[in-house]
Amino acid sequence: MPQATRTKKPDVKVVILGDMNVGKTSLLHRYTERKFKDTISTVGGAFFMKQWGPYNISIWDTAGREQFHGLGSMYCRGAAAVILTYDVTNWQSLAELENRFLSLTDTANADCIFAIVGNKADLTDTRIQGPDTDGEQVDERQPVVTCPTSPAILHKQVSREDAIALYSHVLRYKGLEEKACLPADKMCFETSAKTGYNVDSLFESLFDLVLPSILKKRSEGESSTVDLESPMEVKTNKAGCCS
Amino acid sequence: MSVKAFELVPAVEREQVMGDKVRINIECIECCGKHLYLGTNDCFIHHFLLEEHTTAKGMPAYNAQKLLHKFLGLKKPVLELKAASALERLIVLCDSTITVVDMVTLEPVPTGGNKLKGVTAFCINENPVTGDPFCVEMAVVSARKRAVQICLVYEDRLQVLKEVTTPEQPCALSLDGYFICLALSTQYMILNYSTAASQDLFPYDCEERKPIVKRIGREEFLLAAPGGLGMFANAEGISQRAPVSWSENVIAASVCFPYVVALDEGFVTVHSMLDQQLKQTLPFRDGHLLQDFEGKVVLASTKAVYILVPLPLERQIQDLLASHRVEEALTLTEAAQRNIPKEKYQILYKRILQQAGFIQFGQLKFLEAKEHFRKGLLDVRELISLYPLLLPSSSTFTRCHPPLHEFADLNHLTQGDKEKVQRFKRFLISYLHEVRSVESANGFREDVDTALLKLYAETGHDSLLDLLASDNACLLTDCAPWLEKHLKYFALGLLYHYNGQDSAALQMWVKIVKGDLQDSTRPDLFEYVVDFLSFCSNLDLVWRHADWLLQKDQKIGVQIFTKRPDSEGKRGQLNPDDVIGYLQKHNKALVLYLEHLVLEKRLKKEKYHTHLAVLYADRVLGLMSRPTVTEEQLSAARQKLQQLLKESNLYRVQLLSNKLQDSELLLPERATLHGKLEEHDKALHILVHQLKDSPAAEEYCSWASVNQDQAYRQNLFHQLLSVYLDPDVPGGPQTVAAVDLLNRHANVFDAVRVLDLLPEEWSLPLLRPFLCGALRSSVHARCTSRVAVGLARAENLQLKHDRLKYRGGPILVSEKKGCQLCHNTFSEPDCACLPGGKPVHIHCVTKKALISSISELFT
Ligand SMILES: Nc1nc2c(ncn2[C@@H]2O[C@H](COP(=O)(O)OP(=O)(O)OP(=O)(O)O)[C@@H](O)[C@H]2O)c(=O)[nH]1
Ligand SMILES: [Mg+2]
Repeated sequence: MPQATRTKKPDVKVVILGDMNVGKTSLLHRYTERKFKDTISTVGGAFFMKQWGPYNISIWDTAGREQFHGLGSMYCRGAAAVILTYDVTNWQSLAELENRFLSLTDTANADCIFAIVGNKADLTDTRIQGPDTDGEQVDERQPVVTCPTSPAILHKQVSREDAIALYSHVLRYKGLEEKACLPADKMCFETSAKTGYNVDSLFESLFDLVLPSILKKRSEGESSTVDLESPMEVKTNKAGCCS
Repeated sequence: MSVKAFELVPAVEREQVMGDKVRINIECIECCGKHLYLGTNDCFIHHFLLEEHTTAKGMPAYNAQKLLHKFLGLKKPVLELKAASALERLIVLCDSTITVVDMVTLEPVPTGGNKLKGVTAFCINENPVTGDPFCVEMAVVSARKRAVQICLVYEDRLQVLKEVTTPEQPCALSLDGYFICLALSTQYMILNYSTAASQDLFPYDCEERKPIVKRIGREEFLLAAPGGLGMFANAEGISQRAPVSWSENVIAASVCFPYVVALDEGFVTVHSMLDQQLKQTLPFRDGHLLQDFEGKVVLASTKAVYILVPLPLERQIQDLLASHRVEEALTLTEAAQRNIPKEKYQILYKRILQQAGFIQFGQLKFLEAKEHFRKGLLDVRELISLYPLLLPSSSTFTRCHPPLHEFADLNHLTQGDKEKVQRFKRFLISYLHEVRSVESANGFREDVDTALLKLYAETGHDSLLDLLASDNACLLTDCAPWLEKHLKYFALGLLYHYNGQDSAALQMWVKIVKGDLQDSTRPDLFEYVVDFLSFCSNLDLVWRHADWLLQKDQKIGVQIFTKRPDSEGKRGQLNPDDVIGYLQKHNKALVLYLEHLVLEKRLKKEKYHTHLAVLYADRVLGLMSRPTVTEEQLSAARQKLQQLLKESNLYRVQLLSNKLQDSELLLPERATLHGKLEEHDKALHILVHQLKDSPAAEEYCSWASVNQDQAYRQNLFHQLLSVYLDPDVPGGPQTVAAVDLLNRHANVFDAVRVLDLLPEEWSLPLLRPFLCGALRSSVHARCTSRVAVGLARAENLQLKHDRLKYRGGPILVSEKKGCQLCHNTFSEPDCACLPGGKPVHIHCVTKKALISSISELFT
């Protein structure tokens, strides 16, 4: 319900980056409105507030167009997670992530989580075709149904291995030890905003992963200000009081 | 789609500024309360007094009165004017120099010799850090200087506080607290002049396009971004709102919460900061300046000044609602919370929620509508009143004014679409159902329940009966005709009953059972009525309907008497004699009723027992006289009779005996009756000689001696034995039966007496079981009694032992021995003993007991 988005302050930020036309806006639409609808190339950026349990997560959809590239660092500032999106039918879109977008994430949190997402998987793989749900269903779960109706199967230009390789590049770029980070096979997704394939699982696993970051932010905030509206969290001393 | 958020109102006409001189342009404005200052390109400052008023049509209007104009003595344009109202000073940027003039006289005032030269831009800190009200903080940028100067302006001097260097040449700036938001030649950045920490924001080419840096609130700035975007950035360099999209050639921007107003070459655009959507576009040619002063947005072309007057938020919200933009209206309402006093806001918010709910209701978006009605605490009657005839005619409800929606009623809403009508009704049903369950005490229960009943009745909803059967506030006068109209007669009966009109209820139901009215709600309505009456405490009603019920079905009908709950006190108790009297004409029902009294309630009244027995007997006799009777019918009837005769001790035996004595067939019954009279010989005679049924005879003996002592039982069995052995009957003694009897009941008989009776010639093996049994029981009796004797002895011994133990050893009393209590000697042998065997005088003990009981009284 949009009501939730009207007044709340976000607890944490997730940013979707990627070249224009890879389907960032479509992914967010699919997740938030559960449909695939016509988009126009995003101007500037937009965000959506998602209520996740007791927390509010803001998800920023950025513009992929070169013109707005400069704004990326600002959007990424303080982000807890970044979704690097490419189009599986377009090798260049993956290359752009490394060339153009990776440096934008310098402003993100130090413990920022990265997900590599290859969208438009429906175009290359008949098995993940699902019914086109442009209808007015309010809340249908992800269709993972097999329905080989798509006429033209496009060549898949980016393999999963390429995405996994990019993920280790990202970690190396960040100067992170691969072993200490979330494993690549957990953080590389192939999705289809059109059929809904893997979309919920992408966002929801990411939300679960940023929860610790929220708690950390809260406890840091707590020390300086008292939030009268949020319920008090009872902190338990590990040692217990009598031992 | 658009909203009208602002009205463009002229403030200063061109003639007032420049008269007929065409080349004069307005370069800058400043507004401070009612004072409006204009700086022009011919180096003048104009001072106007701006009066706001309302036209006859209710539109805002401004009237500017020129107070003064002042030539600054140069040939340069006045580029910037900023008021420092606490100091009554105006800070002026002209000819790259900052000067200060008096706000009223516009005369220059000295600045302590400190003149700032080469200045390209400056700004005032609206969130000052010094805390000195007579000091204005200012940031200044100069040409060819990669730095920002922080200055303080006092009444009579100007002081440079600090200079912070910047990586590039600054072009424009804005100040909030310690934060300077800067447009440099290739990018924006935020600089903390206290800590010198900086934060790059994003690239922007200031050569190519004029930057905009606008403080819009505490630590938040609005910036022109590439691609005609308006970006928001806070002091940490984070964007907390999505950008708004302007045109590429935006000139100036301003914020009037919750709107961002921007000016480009041909238009003023208004975007909402809440959803980033474009809300209003006002054509405006030759736009030059756009600035907000204390919430007032001032717009100027090069020649004239206008004010953008915001329309009242309520009006904007209503406009949004009028165009069914519910979400936007609610967003705007919630945003308005900070501008409206709390109480007023709550009333407004409630009303908007309700209106929003009705809009969604009209669009059949019931889920959303329900949510808004609930949150807006809608008076449920507003909703009910949309459905014709649902509110009780007695309801005093009138819709709220101004109306919450534009619908006349459901017909207007659906335009006769039957399917839609059904959907609306289903919604109301579910809504009312929920309202009922959560806020039962909202004061409108009558209206809600009545409406719900009507809907249920009309749509044939199953819950109609549940509603009537549970606690409800349906109005009888309103609902009765409605139920009748929709042929819900059974339900109508329930309604009458709920309202204490059982008689009317029954009338309704009887008519349905009789077929005078058609209502198939309950196929078992007859049983229902019977059940209803059996619980009805109004005996009058019971009697009134009894005839009809019994005529229809005696077996079920009689339940109005037999199924009555027991513990209902005096009221509603039927007198059995009345019932019996009444039931005379309904024989079957009478039997059932008496069975109820005698067998179920176990009333111990001779009258009922006799009556029932007589009725049973009559039935048996009647059946016997009927040629077509079947074996089963007869045996079932006799079974009942026999059982009653055997088990009851209360009926008049003689009466029944007289009734049955002529019947040759009813011999067992007669035997039973003889038994009741203790005429065992007669009974046994019948059983043995007439019926020749020895098992029955044996059973008789057992039955007749039940609850009697052993001797009685023995006698009876001996009696039977002698009947068997009687030689003086036709056919001689019944040896086999006698042997069987003995063998089967060996332990009842007195063996010695039996042996005396038995003929000599009977063989021993024949009587073996009897003899063994007799012997065993006699041995058993002997052993048992010996054990008993032994036990009694042991007990006796034990008691003796105890007694000795308690008595202890001998107690010696002599004339020399003293009493423990008085210490005198004993003169007589009588003495008492204290525990432990100490002898004392009897009178001493008595005294001691008396004293101790008295002292106990006082403690
Ligand atoms: N077949 C297919 N097409 C998709 C998918 N996702 C997006 N598209 C299409 O790709 C085009 C671009 O989608 P957008 O979501 O607007 O792309 P974007 O990444 O937001 O683009 P920018 O806003 O310009 O950065 C649209 O025509 C979509 O219909 C997908 O999963 N499958
Ligand atoms: Mg987009």
